Amino acid sequence: MTPDPAPDSESPWPAARRGIRDAAGLPALMLMASLIGVGGLARDVGYPMGAGVLSTILIWAAPGQMVMFGAIAAGAALPAVAIAVSLSSIRFLPMCVALLPMLRRPGTPTWLLLLIAHYVAITAWVHSMRVLPDMPIEARIPYFLGFANTVLIAATLATGAGYYLIGQLPTAFAAGLLLTSPLFFLVNMVASARQTIDWLALGLGFGLAPFAIAVVPAGLDLLVEGLVGGTLAYLVHRILRARREARR
Amino acid sequence: MIAALEFYTGGLWPYLVVILFGFLPSEIWRWMAVFLSQGIREDAEILVWVRAVASALLAGVVAKLVLTPTGALATIPLFWRIASLVAGVAGFYLARRSILAGVIAGEIVLISAGLYFSG
Repeated sequence: MTPDPAPDSESPWPAARRGIRDAAGLPALMLMASLIGVGGLARDVGYPMGAGVLSTILIWAAPGQMVMFGAIAAGAALPAVAIAVSLSSIRFLPMCVALLPMLRRPGTPTWLLLLIAHYVAITAWVHSMRVLPDMPIEARIPYFLGFANTVLIAATLATGAGYYLIGQLPTAFAAGLLLTSPLFFLVNMVASARQTIDWLALGLGFGLAPFAIAVVPAGLDLLVEGLVGGTLAYLVHRILRARREARR
Repeated sequence: MIAALEFYTGGLWPYLVVILFGFLPSEIWRWMAVFLSQGIREDAEILVWVRAVASALLAGVVAKLVLTPTGALATIPLFWRIASLVAGVAGFYLARRSILAGVIAGEIVLISAGLYFSG
């Protein structure tokens, strides 16, 4: 073990433990329910259990995994599968760009940032964007890694279990497990929306979805509605802020 | 060609598919973000916009999973899939902002509908 450099000689473990504790409840439970469903999808396409588990550890995005196994089940060509997965994961670009400046310190090495970015997925992101700003900067990375590793391990175990369990379940319950991701994401986003801009982005993202799916070429719909919805929400936010400042 | 690849890789083919056609095309966005976010301060104005785009994208993902579902979820009629999301948000507020209550409310609606339509 190398000794810690002088300025932050304080141990990262208390913050990591707090992250583990905050994750080891509802967040871990919800991810487990989501990934049980994904384990079942891996089995549906005839893949071994290990491939389902690996998809959770490496892709670490229930929607992307659902898209991948769904496309394989539909008999799509593999390059088409890759494009579908990639397009469904574009959200990680703005998500990581929004989160990383909260975690990065002047000396943070690039490999650590790449590792942190891998753990970014909806549950950890929504939670971190809410709690990290009130935390001292040196506690943020250990807290985030404690939280993210806990949910990742729980979800990985659930994927393996789901591979064997889901065949035994009546269709209605299998459908319920697959609903867990979108449902939990939605309620979580509603719970952490604070300002007008959050509500606008949420509402526009939803409202534009049916039109985007119908009008925009397949796969690009998410990108277009994210950019259009997010930019509209931001513009309204600027106008409201300018008005508020003018009144002062 | 795929058949030949499947043959030569033995049982490892599904793992390679996950890595090459799942992991890499997905992870590239996270890697790009590490380099794009360099030098951006935590309180930079551009992050307000980036965050709004990310939120709209997340809402879009939820909408897409429910509007164009895969697996067993596709057996539930669209009306009930949307009704279960509405029930989730309603449950969250009725139970004084409990996320767990919201998720349970949504699941009850969806599973009941599933049992009714499949049974």
